[in-house]
Amino acid sequence: MYAPKDIVELLADNVRKTMSPFGVSKGRVNGWWKGQDLPRDGKALLFTGLMYQFVPYIEATTRQLERFEDTAWAGRLGWARLAPKFLAGLGLDLLASAESKRKAAEHLRDIVKVLRASGADFGYRPELDAYSGILLYDLGDQENFERHARIVAESLQQAGIERIITVDPHTTYALKVLYPKHLGISFAVRTYFEEASLTGDRGGETLVLHDPCFYGRYLELSDAPRRALAGLGYQCADLRESGAFTSCCGGPAESISPRLSAEIGARRVETLGGSGAQIVSMCPICLNNLEKSGANVVDLSSVLARGL
Amino acid sequence: MAVVNPEFLQTLALSGQDAGAECFNCGTCAAICPLVDGHFPRKMIRYAQIGAEQRILENALELWKCLHCGLCTRTCPRGANPGEVILALKRHVVAAWRER
Repeated sequence: MYAPKDIVELLADNVRKTMSPFGVSKGRVNGWWKGQDLPRDGKALLFTGLMYQFVPYIEATTRQLERFEDTAWAGRLGWARLAPKFLAGLGLDLLASAESKRKAAEHLRDIVKVLRASGADFGYRPELDAYSGILLYDLGDQENFERHARIVAESLQQAGIERIITVDPHTTYALKVLYPKHLGISFAVRTYFEEASLTGDRGGETLVLHDPCFYGRYLELSDAPRRALAGLGYQCADLRESGAFTSCCGGPAESISPRLSAEIGARRVETLGGSGAQIVSMCPICLNNLEKSGANVVDLSSVLARGL
Repeated sequence: MAVVNPEFLQTLALSGQDAGAECFNCGTCAAICPLVDGHFPRKMIRYAQIGAEQRILENALELWKCLHCGLCTRTCPRGANPGEVILALKRHVVAAWRER
């Protein structure tokens, strides 16, 4: 396990200086929208919160953290703050796998396909898309969370944004619950799968859904993805640990202890994998952690966009 | 020996609206927690209730194992919101680090 103080201060420093917990600039991370011919205006703004885009960087960081956890080197993590951000960010960018970057972009393009096929009226403005700051909140750094969140929320407000479509549970929770509560700034926030309105007959395949904690428990949105899948003829298997009683994938512990994260992930995969049915996740953090724990898991966006 | 601070719950309330006063230490949170780690989070909430601030700071590492998954809060029979108490304790400890 790493010293929480080192992790909190490193992430806070990265976010303060680069608006990203990994110290990698948005220009490097967020290129999925190029060539998508996305309108800038619409009734709602598509806001990714950059969480899917961060997955290759989370993987690269976690690989390094795994190597040094509980070794004498772990105590030197605090020194990472001294490295120039552009250099550290560039190094991490080189370590992040190209395949992982391709997959992250593909999930977001699939979400766009689903929204378009559902007739959603939305626009995308890359300059407004930003990290929500949620990790700082989860780690207890309220001061830096509020400072960062205010920059993001005010830039949306100044652009006249009122309605937002989100793609991951962490950003959804931040924008829907935390921004109004801690900043007094509110938007009408819906997830892309609440906007999904697809019909078809995909043969009644049975799927096992892993509800992320924020969707299942905090936001009580578990019915929405099931409705979207049922519209396409999919069945969702019953699972005791689902909906409001879902079980964590272990992802949130990744920065503090990759070992602990892997233990929890393995336990979750055991409960999800019992039936042998295809596991479906709807959170980039869960997807990554369940994959690492050996699950046969795909993202909800890939299932919904199949054949579109 | 631990020094107790009877005012600690009021201090902690500044770091979050949930300070665990309603908790009656039944241990449901520790039983349901995916960490399956001793008496977490019950022990930390007890420390907060009795104002054992030094014990909290000494055991601060445990707070960051919390996944903030919310299962303890969902199942707490007293509505004591243990997950949010742990988050408030994290905020309190971060503030203590920065004051040093």
